[in-house]
Amino acid sequence: MNFFTYLSNRWDNILELGLEHAAITAVSVLIATVVGVGIGMATYNRQRSGQLAIAVTSVFLTIPSLALFGLFINVLGLGATPVVVALVMYSLLPIVANTIVGLREVDPAIVESAQGMGMSRGQRLLRIELPLAWPVILTGMRVSTLIALGIAAIGAYINGPGLGNDIFDGLSRINSPNALNLVLGGTLGVIVLAILFDVLYVLINRLTTSQGVR
Amino acid sequence: MSTADGGRTKIRLDKLTKQFPGQAEPAVDALSMEIPEGEIVIFVGPSGCGKTTTMKLINRIIEPSSGRIFLDDEDVTTTDPDQLRRRIGYVIQQIGLFPHMTIGENIATVPKLLKWDKDRIARRVDELIETVGMDPEAYRNRYPKQLSGGQRQRIGVARAMSADPDVMLMDEPFGAIDPITRDRLQNEFLRLQAEIKKTIVFVTHDIDEAIKMGDRIAILREHSHIAQFDTPERILVNPADEFVADFIGRGASLKRLSLSRVRDIELRDWPTVSDGTDPAEARRILQASDRGSLLVLDDRRRPRSWVNADHLQRTETRPFSEIGLPLATVEPRATLSDTLNEMLTARYSTAVVVDGSGAYAGVVDIDTINEAIRGMRTAERTRLRKELDDELDDEAGGAAEVTSTP
Repeated sequence: MNFFTYLSNRWDNILELGLEHAAITAVSVLIATVVGVGIGMATYNRQRSGQLAIAVTSVFLTIPSLALFGLFINVLGLGATPVVVALVMYSLLPIVANTIVGLREVDPAIVESAQGMGMSRGQRLLRIELPLAWPVILTGMRVSTLIALGIAAIGAYINGPGLGNDIFDGLSRINSPNALNLVLGGTLGVIVLAILFDVLYVLINRLTTSQGVR
Repeated sequence: MSTADGGRTKIRLDKLTKQFPGQAEPAVDALSMEIPEGEIVIFVGPSGCGKTTTMKLINRIIEPSSGRIFLDDEDVTTTDPDQLRRRIGYVIQQIGLFPHMTIGENIATVPKLLKWDKDRIARRVDELIETVGMDPEAYRNRYPKQLSGGQRQRIGVARAMSADPDVMLMDEPFGAIDPITRDRLQNEFLRLQAEIKKTIVFVTHDIDEAIKMGDRIAILREHSHIAQFDTPERILVNPADEFVADFIGRGASLKRLSLSRVRDIELRDWPTVSDGTDPAEARRILQASDRGSLLVLDDRRRPRSWVNADHLQRTETRPFSEIGLPLATVEPRATLSDTLNEMLTARYSTAVVVDGSGAYAGVVDIDTINEAIRGMRTAERTRLRKELDDELDDEAGGAAEVTSTP
């Protein structure tokens, strides 16, 4: 069976796995955004704590994913939960780092004039600093999404959802006639998802960034 | 509480001190001063003298280490700083407009913090954009990056005035603008201040700007020690010490020209003709006058050009305004210094004065300015002599009064 016949026979299966894959990536990046922007806001105005936050999240990103999933089996068991936890950890660095950089790069004169007008610390952060740092944070989320899409495929190793299932299926019976098609279908599916997410981010950027800073 | 010359005190600083951690000496050292209501008080001094720090102590962007700040006789040293700042307009050199907000949203910032209702905010925004000489329709929904430097500066001032604060703090507000625009904005601001009469603390390092803008000038030396706090006239005529004299620099009498305005001096008259006058008639008027040229006015009495005998010979049917020489006009509120500058570059060393609607009001020439300078000198000498007499009288009476110069 050539690859195109395979695709036309199995497209509903691939679509279903693709949707699962997209969902688990989106959920993980969203959680990572809430946590990461929070960490960034808490640490950006002190040199030391900012460095510490970036160092810790960098360590997360360097842990080999297969090893981390293996370690999680004892603690969190199998399935979607440990995969989401791992993906959140891998997604943190770009979001935390970009939040810190974005907030630090806001022109101090703008913040000072906001302060001089009587905006409280919280109002300054939410109404002035975060909106100005937002495009940079969004770039971080985009990088995190790409990382998470790739690593989510490995999640199938501990029974996580998504296109990784096809890839592992194919790899485990590499000599059977459909093996190559399974691996290829799963991989291409991840690439297509990456492109779709990119388009989505362009749209989000358009909709959520003020005309004044574009 | 009132100042030496009877005005109400708006802001009072009492032994205000700022010691930054890790620095041997205080940036501001026990500064006491009274700022009268409705006046522009300029802090001027060499860089590093603490003038900006002092200004930022007033709205507590920098918290004082010790000393007290009084606003309207109320001690605001320890009140909620955000509430305090909403009562004080704040303009900095970089302006600091919020780039992600429209001009309208920028101006609405403080009214929104004060929870005004929507209609009131919208009316106020339009009113302010108009106040600073721009068109609300065209600019309300633009973003700061779509404005020129001068326009941004105007919006910065409008934003600081949004909740109609009594007090405004301005840190080199015209510092980052080209000289021509700066001059225009300064004049506009003075015109505005004549209406709104805010109490303004204005920081600059430029003594010429200080003389032009200030009702009073505080010349500061290191640690924000006051070298002299007085009106521009008295600082120019009577500098307190070497430091002040050095800071004013040479040409004090030239600088004094920045203190008087065209409206304060007597204008001269000049023979005029209207644009449609018959050339023969114009020649007759020219011969009857002792001047070498006539001033051409249009049908709304706005000056258009100079015409001399040569022009009148050559003209046949063309209107005078197309054949004459260009002229320089000034408004009544222009300083004599600006006027002199116009005159030096204009024909006949004469500046034409126009009123608010652009209509001819008279002319200023070198002689007029000369007389004005002589008059100022005499007035100052008389006043100084009188003050000296008064002080001697006071000492004789055993009650030496401390003037506003500490």
